[in-house]
Amino acid sequence: MEMVASLFNSDNYTAVKKMMDVSALRHASIASNLANVSTPGYKRVDLSRSFEDELRASIQSRNADEIAEASPRTEVDTLTPSTRADGNNVQIDSELLGLTKNTMNFNVLTDFASGSLKQLRHAIMGRPA
Amino acid sequence: MMNVISASSITGSALDAEKMRVDIVSQNIANANTTKGIDGKAYQRRIVAFESLLDAAAGPNMQGVRVSEIKRDENPGEIINNPQHPHADKDGNVTMPNVNIPFEMVDMVTATRSYEANLAVVRNARQMATQALSIGR
Repeated sequence: MEMVASLFNSDNYTAVKKMMDVSALRHASIASNLANVSTPGYKRVDLSRSFEDELRASIQSRNADEIAEASPRTEVDTLTPSTRADGNNVQIDSELLGLTKNTMNFNVLTDFASGSLKQLRHAIMGRPA
Repeated sequence: MMNVISASSITGSALDAEKMRVDIVSQNIANANTTKGIDGKAYQRRIVAFESLLDAAAGPNMQGVRVSEIKRDENPGEIINNPQHPHADKDGNVTMPNVNIPFEMVDMVTATRSYEANLAVVRNARQMATQALSIGR
């Protein structure tokens, strides 16, 4: 039991789960931005900077409980200047780039989660699954 | 995981709205020479206005989009002199629709590109969902 519990409570595994939540939220933000690329006055939504700092600090602490506590949140980005007359500050190309990057990130995370579970199964079965 | 699925309602609203914009462009282009509409006057081009709408299901700050109204462009159309035209007035003048084809083409390309961008979101969401479902396999 000890080994199973230590995998599910390990800081890396907890961090991966948290990062997948973050990735899903970033995807929703990008979806919102791309949906409103033609809406006058719309300001883009992004992950909150304070959350990103919080997550980085908690992962560096390597404390699983602290990582699990960080709650992903978004904020409206009013800092990015608008290059358009209607005040909308969404740049379609950078959003698409972010979208692809986020999906790749998500793939890496799922691979890591799968890898951890496969390792565990390997240990239980005594042979590669 | 729920977020990946709920973002699809945002993207769905955008696909609807952009599709509507292309529909209106096609209506404008189709009526570029309509000198007598159902109201008896020359066709007036329609303009689509978008507005964002908060999508609480997708999370705080997340916004979908919808067509808030379809307005008529009240600018006067060009008046040409063509006494042979069936819709010419007693001086032989015909009011043409105020449709500007290059302008409509630009609007159509913009709408198509936005539509494609939103399709890319759907594609990525599907890939992420598939990846998430195959964790541990």
